[in-house]
Amino acid sequence: MIVRIWGTRGSYPVARAEMLRYGGNTTCVEVRVGDSCIILDAGTGLRQLGEALGREARPPRTINLLITHTHWDHIIGFPFFEPISQPQNRINIYGLQRTQSSLRKTIANALSDPLMPISLEDLRAEMTFHEIHEGLAFQLDTQVRVCTARANHPYRALAYRIEADGAALVFIPDTGPFHTVLFDDERIEWTGSPTPNTDEELRALAEMRAQIVDLARGADWLIYDSQFTDAQYTRFPHWGHSTAAQAREIAEEAGVGQLLMFHHDPHHTDAQIDAMLEELQTTCDSELIITAAYEGMELRKGERSS
Amino acid sequence: MKMQFWGVRGYVPTPGAEYLRYGGNTCCTALYGADGDLVVIDSGTGFCQLGDMLMGREFGRGGGKMTLLISHTYWDHILGLPFPGLVHIPGNRLHIYGPDSTRGSLEMVYNGMLSPVYSPVYGLAHIGATHSFQPISTEPFMVGGMRVRALPLSRRNHSPIWAYRVEEANRAMVYITDVRYTNDQIWNQAVQFAAGAQVLVHSAPYTRQEQVEDYGHSRVEDAIELAQEANVERLEIFHHAPTRTDDQLDTLVSSYRRQLMDEESPLIFDAAREGLIVDV
Repeated sequence: MIVRIWGTRGSYPVARAEMLRYGGNTTCVEVRVGDSCIILDAGTGLRQLGEALGREARPPRTINLLITHTHWDHIIGFPFFEPISQPQNRINIYGLQRTQSSLRKTIANALSDPLMPISLEDLRAEMTFHEIHEGLAFQLDTQVRVCTARANHPYRALAYRIEADGAALVFIPDTGPFHTVLFDDERIEWTGSPTPNTDEELRALAEMRAQIVDLARGADWLIYDSQFTDAQYTRFPHWGHSTAAQAREIAEEAGVGQLLMFHHDPHHTDAQIDAMLEELQTTCDSELIITAAYEGMELRKGERSS
Repeated sequence: MKMQFWGVRGYVPTPGAEYLRYGGNTCCTALYGADGDLVVIDSGTGFCQLGDMLMGREFGRGGGKMTLLISHTYWDHILGLPFPGLVHIPGNRLHIYGPDSTRGSLEMVYNGMLSPVYSPVYGLAHIGATHSFQPISTEPFMVGGMRVRALPLSRRNHSPIWAYRVEEANRAMVYITDVRYTNDQIWNQAVQFAAGAQVLVHSAPYTRQEQVEDYGHSRVEDAIELAQEANVERLEIFHHAPTRTDDQLDTLVSSYRRQLMDEESPLIFDAAREGLIVDV
């Protein structure tokens, strides 16, 4: 399995000199296993990934795009992904099933007038939408296994586990912690101080957390929401993002090999992310390898280096 | 009146070392009037950077006021709106003008963009700042000492695309984006609208030579011709293509400047850069 990181930023893309090292593109991760090409999220990093695929000697003709949720920072790269306009390509798009709107309609509406001049029907690649839900396990291209869980994020989001070839990657770019605010489809009104949770909410949170830990269990790599410092979390617990320490707690409990801090805050400079990473590493008393994902990062297991 | 670019990129933001000097944020231009009034044209991701800067002013305390003019509602002109802290601070006032489309009013488009499937804001109702949406018309209006005129110059499918002219003390800045001069009528309207402006900000992502398939934009050469015919003093092309690196833009700028010098044209030609302040 080869994993390449094309976008690490959360909320919105940032184009600033002091953020170049970790990168300003929003979330997008490429996973390659043999002939299979899987892409996690369609943030702005997807544009450069599309260009890179075009430069390959034999570009993949089937691309599986797994979307955690359709907030802008996770879909903004989609119309700028060159393979969608090439007739020989088949693009399978996976995302959360909702009663409110189909996945196809959500993407189609975002791309079409008056927000964009594109109609899905005009795109030359063959586009298939697959609506999925949490707690699912399915095969892609026979050799890749995908599992899903629910992340604790406003309007709900999916978490993915990709397993193939003896390697496992878990991708949870957007999730809040599981001790207090339970996110669902309704907006959480934040009054500045937490409202006491009902027993039912606490049970649901504990269950969701258990599923997330299960999903991440023994993975080689866990890419996990680490947007906030502790001080930020205290101010914005209703945004559905975690602190780096909360990410580490999940990683340690799930016994993963390496944690990759991800979904970097759009205001955090390289120096600040360095400091968050160092703090997390120096206070870590387990075997866990802790890193912060950066644009251009590559991870490999079980594939011969080319 | 001073003008400052906060986002000059077209289509999609381009973070990256090779785009840093001209900038990777999408369309956003600010105008500061002599009396301190603020007019902002378009709210691409450049609006996030502008918003961060404004937090150090009255906006940080909930006492800020801005007039936002929207040319049209494609992503690269609106997506930055909900992110800056200032739009969530009660007391700040945002007056937003822009075109209704045949698929819904400007307000409906923004509300849809902020709906929970796309945004954690859950709709306009949860924007903390006081905000109003006003369909733009050709009737001129004042923002402090600045006079704003608007013109529906072109349209694409269901979306009309408006141009803006902002004047103060007999000096004018004209903003034209996403237009293709497909007939003389559009051309003549644009010439008239830009006539005598000190600065023309015009989208021009490609040159004629490049022959890129893009039906929504005019070319660098069109923008130059328009500026010359309208007797504009200074042309700032913007809406740079996402593939256009800083070095390529440098080369492009010097080649057109040389050409203008050879023609003995008085036009000042430039490619807009994030952060650049132009004294109109």
